[in-house]
Amino acid sequence: MSAHATALIADDEPLLRDALRRQLAIVWPELEIVAEARNGREAVKLFDERHPGICFLDVHMPGLSGVDAANHIGRRAHLVFVTAYDHYAVQAFAQGALDYLLKPVEQGRLAETVSRLKERLQSSRPAINTEQLLQQLSEQLAKLQTGGGKSEALRWIRAQAGKTVRLIAIDDVDYLRSDAKYTIVAWRDGGKPAEAVVRTPLKELLEQLDAEQFAQVHRSVVVRLRAISHVKRHDNETAEIHVRGRDDVLPVSRNYLHLFRQM
Amino acid sequence: MSDLATAPGPAATLAKTARRLTVALTMSIAVGLLMLSVWNNSPSSLFLRTIILGLSATAAFGLFEVWPRGLPPWLQRWALQVVAIGVLMPVTTSLIYVLSTAQGAPPFWKDPSRLNGWTHLTFAAILLAPWTALAAIVRQKEAFARNQKLAFALERSELEREALDARLHLLQAQVAPHFLFNTLANVQALVDAGSPHAPVVLRSLTAYLRAVVPLLHEPAATIERELQIVRPYLELMQMRMPDRLQYAMNIDPAALQVRCPPTTLLTLVENAVRHGIDPSEEGGRIDIDIDRRGDRCVVRVTDTGAGLQPSADGLGTGLTTLRERLQLIFGDAAQLRVTSAAPRGVAVEVDMPAHT
Repeated sequence: MSAHATALIADDEPLLRDALRRQLAIVWPELEIVAEARNGREAVKLFDERHPGICFLDVHMPGLSGVDAANHIGRRAHLVFVTAYDHYAVQAFAQGALDYLLKPVEQGRLAETVSRLKERLQSSRPAINTEQLLQQLSEQLAKLQTGGGKSEALRWIRAQAGKTVRLIAIDDVDYLRSDAKYTIVAWRDGGKPAEAVVRTPLKELLEQLDAEQFAQVHRSVVVRLRAISHVKRHDNETAEIHVRGRDDVLPVSRNYLHLFRQM
Repeated sequence: MSDLATAPGPAATLAKTARRLTVALTMSIAVGLLMLSVWNNSPSSLFLRTIILGLSATAAFGLFEVWPRGLPPWLQRWALQVVAIGVLMPVTTSLIYVLSTAQGAPPFWKDPSRLNGWTHLTFAAILLAPWTALAAIVRQKEAFARNQKLAFALERSELEREALDARLHLLQAQVAPHFLFNTLANVQALVDAGSPHAPVVLRSLTAYLRAVVPLLHEPAATIERELQIVRPYLELMQMRMPDRLQYAMNIDPAALQVRCPPTTLLTLVENAVRHGIDPSEEGGRIDIDIDRRGDRCVVRVTDTGAGLQPSADGLGTGLTTLRERLQLIFGDAAQLRVTSAAPRGVAVEVDMPAHT
């Protein structure tokens, strides 16, 4: 590797890019900052253009995260992650012997990191192989950003109502009915009955619903139990459900009739 | 309560029937014992008759409890049950006497001793059976009311627990280390650079913390207080993302004193930043519109950011908990609506009663 050290700084907050550049200028005046990126995508693009020897990557960036960008760069540069407070990430960095800096960046800590980097550059040791660790980390971060695991019950349904998309709280839903390609969501918009359409199949929605509140009563109908006003039985082993505050009548098929056995 | 919820299982039905039979038998035997002194026939024939009467009354009670399924509005079911039992009692005693009349013997009303027995039995049955039925109905209604009360109390405590959770969540989110350290890093950067902006930013951070920390202990805030948090918050965020965040506020002065759950507005704005602006490379604009229309107050936060994510739950817990808190305070009188904004982004609207 050449004696001339080059670096890329990626952070979505401009003040923090400036600050790091200024701090590096004090601790490591010979280091040339060849690129500054505002997000992960830019970091990857600028890396491919300039091939800096060192990349300072903010973990939390719009679009591609710092970890995603690191995945792309791989062992072609020495990586230093920068983060304000990402408990999980910091833990993983420490375990994986990755270099990381905490914001606000302390001068002393930065000096340590710089001397480690210089050592590595001098011995022209290749960058640590981090592929697997980074893969795990980026999955973990993605999960954190979407608000945690999928195990939680569904709370909102994204639905098409006319020309707009609305988020319907699951507590407002009276029933769901599948209809050829779509699922119809019958819900209450501030108490008033309303209907909307979602593309998610009924079966998929049912899996995410609270079984204490919703019951499947027909191949194509799932109803909120509290929304039922009454159930009328027919002679031919079927029944129909009348929904509170609506004129709608829902079918109950033979397989689900046991739910409404007489007292 | 729906039909389904009140429909008891087979075990419950069995227990109910057993309980009724016990009451009927106890009453029948007690009446029999009381009537022994005036009875001029064998005691076993007396007990047999009172028990038959008791059981037939129980059967009638059970029958008219469910049949006919629909009743005219002027007829209460409990009245039907009581009247039916009252009518059934003389009919049953007469039937017992007609059927027990020996072959060739005169009808019971021509035999003074049998007529005397019939009169006593009928009198006792008409006197006691409808009252017992009435007592049973009252007990049943009370038990139902108790059940309902319990169910309501349970629901209420569940909501209260959720509100507590929500407040805890707020505490975590509002004084979130990520937000604080990132902001401090920016302040540090400005100070290091000797920027004239440093004191301004520090002032915003102080204002934000001073407004948000006490609010976490209060049950209610006003729109005005909310703005005291949201203004410095947006100032800080704009300082951090000057090229990606613009915002504008359009506040109706008449709405300033309207009360709302603490951090209502902050939750909406934070949601717009976190899920709209922050994930978008180009960022966007946040518009805050607060209007008072008569006795309603509408708070609307629109962003032109990343928009609704493909995963339905991508909203995070902020809006969900806000919705729960609104429900707890206003019930159905408040609504939280989430729609996609044109051409990009999300609009979240809270429509609530304008209490001051």
